[in-house]
Amino acid sequence: MVTKRQLGIFLALVGLTAAVGTVAVDWIGAGKWSGFGPLQWIGLSAGLALVGIGTVLFRIGDRPA
Amino acid sequence: MRVPGSRVLKVIVIVSSAVALLTFIAYLAIYLAYAAALFRWPYDYDQGEGFELYDAILYRQGEWPYRDNAAFPFYASNYPPLFHLLIVPLLPILGPRLVAGRLVSLLATLVTAATIGGIVRRETHGWLLPTLSGLAFLSSNIVYQIGPLCRLHPTMVMFETLAVAAIAGFQDRQHGTRNLLLGLFFLLCAGYTKQLAVFSVAAALGFVFLRDVRKALLAGMGLAVVAGGLFLLLDRFTDGQWMINIIQANVNEFDYRQTLLFLGQWLRLHPLLILCAAGLLVYELFWGRLSVYALWFAFAVGMGLLSGKWGAGPAYFVTSTAAACVMTGRALGHLTAALPRRWPRAASALQLLVPLAFLLQAAFTVHLPTDGPLFGPLARLLGVADRPVQGDCATFRYYDSGGYTQLGHRLTADDYQGGERIMDYVRQSDGPPFSEEAAFSLLSGRPVVTNPTQLLNLYWNGLLDTSEIVRRIEAEEFGVVIFRAQFYPQPVLDAIGQHYRPVEHVCMNGFYYHILLPDRLLSGGE
Repeated sequence: MVTKRQLGIFLALVGLTAAVGTVAVDWIGAGKWSGFGPLQWIGLSAGLALVGIGTVLFRIGDRPA
Repeated sequence: MRVPGSRVLKVIVIVSSAVALLTFIAYLAIYLAYAAALFRWPYDYDQGEGFELYDAILYRQGEWPYRDNAAFPFYASNYPPLFHLLIVPLLPILGPRLVAGRLVSLLATLVTAATIGGIVRRETHGWLLPTLSGLAFLSSNIVYQIGPLCRLHPTMVMFETLAVAAIAGFQDRQHGTRNLLLGLFFLLCAGYTKQLAVFSVAAALGFVFLRDVRKALLAGMGLAVVAGGLFLLLDRFTDGQWMINIIQANVNEFDYRQTLLFLGQWLRLHPLLILCAAGLLVYELFWGRLSVYALWFAFAVGMGLLSGKWGAGPAYFVTSTAAACVMTGRALGHLTAALPRRWPRAASALQLLVPLAFLLQAAFTVHLPTDGPLFGPLARLLGVADRPVQGDCATFRYYDSGGYTQLGHRLTADDYQGGERIMDYVRQSDGPPFSEEAAFSLLSGRPVVTNPTQLLNLYWNGLLDTSEIVRRIEAEEFGVVIFRAQFYPQPVLDAIGQHYRPVEHVCMNGFYYHILLPDRLLSGGE
């Protein structure tokens, strides 16, 4: 059985990866917009939202997810 | 004499429940009337229907539809086989007609609605809430539009819904294993109906993982072995064409603005369903335990976000609509059970919650024909009679709160005449017809040549050799060319432009069909 804390860690990691990946596409030169494109804003927002949800779940503790 | 307040309230509850029920029954009647009209229409209503029927015909003949697109007749399917196999038993009864596939799709949506009702019934009391939850699915503009088409999407959604309904009970003491195996079987069916079902597979296995990691790993491995084994077998039987046509040809361009457009439409059409579903998802995530339905809803919205793919459409939100209906029924069921315990004096008034919520939702999905003895007065009553849908070359007496749509209207006598006019060209052609829609060829007993969007996808992905098709066009082997959207690779369009000339533009089903004949036939007349 997975707990809220474990689910929170998983979601936060997914969100963090998404957010970092969204920013990192500029470093490797992907994407068709110069600067920070609209898709990147969407990706970054979704990633940060997942980090936020994950953090809250982490604090809830060992209740079943 | 003073009438007790509770009795008045009871009457209001009964009346509002009856009105809500009648409203959704009216939506069902509109849906069935549309389906009946489509059953009579022999041509493609939505581009692609004829190709799905042709896949079924090929299966009946013992042939695979996964073929080399570079060789005559330049046709291959880009979908898994299950929907087309379900059509096969109907072909001897109904003939090689689109009605066979449309009937399967209609039944699939009715089974989906009934399953939604069944799921809600398991967790709530009474029959009103389950009935409204199931009917709400059929009242969605998106479900209405694609539900009775000879397209595989509704069948995939049916299998997805059956799968989550079964897997929800995988921890049942008596039937847990049976439910899990049944759920996995339906997931397999969904995936072999349309590849998009992978989102529901992830949701269902994710749910099992949250509750029982060991079972999830076993179930996931079992499903992977069976699905993967079938995949490899099909690839082997088709000499690798399965992989090319099912996977590689489906890698398309993605436009996030298209996703936002369809997402916005879905949100506007189903605000109450989405609000209830999202509310219950948040509750289960932070306060309760995540159900398979909540995970399914979240993953299904993820599926909808793929609608920015070239060739995708609002249909990508049908699964999320089904999930939202389940979640809404469950949310309202929990609320109507919990709130009276908290506020006992408002218990009677809280009974209004269900009918009023569904009536509110019904106001957002208004769609109906605006002519005829029944729908005409109803449309006038609703104030939508003078807001027709404008096609490329025709105006349809149909209103849809979703705005412009190519689907949903009924066919007119002019449409039938247009179809017959195109069929005249096909019957008189002295070579195979090169048609962007398969129904004309199927109805005239001619070979189906090309699956245009498949050719285009493969061409964009550098997987199509166009030399043979261009050679045949340059030799003017095709007796007639029928274009609608011209979704062909550029070399094909260029070759046709050089060797075929337009002779007529026929208006049918709101679109211009461009008829082109070979130069060799027209040069003599000049």
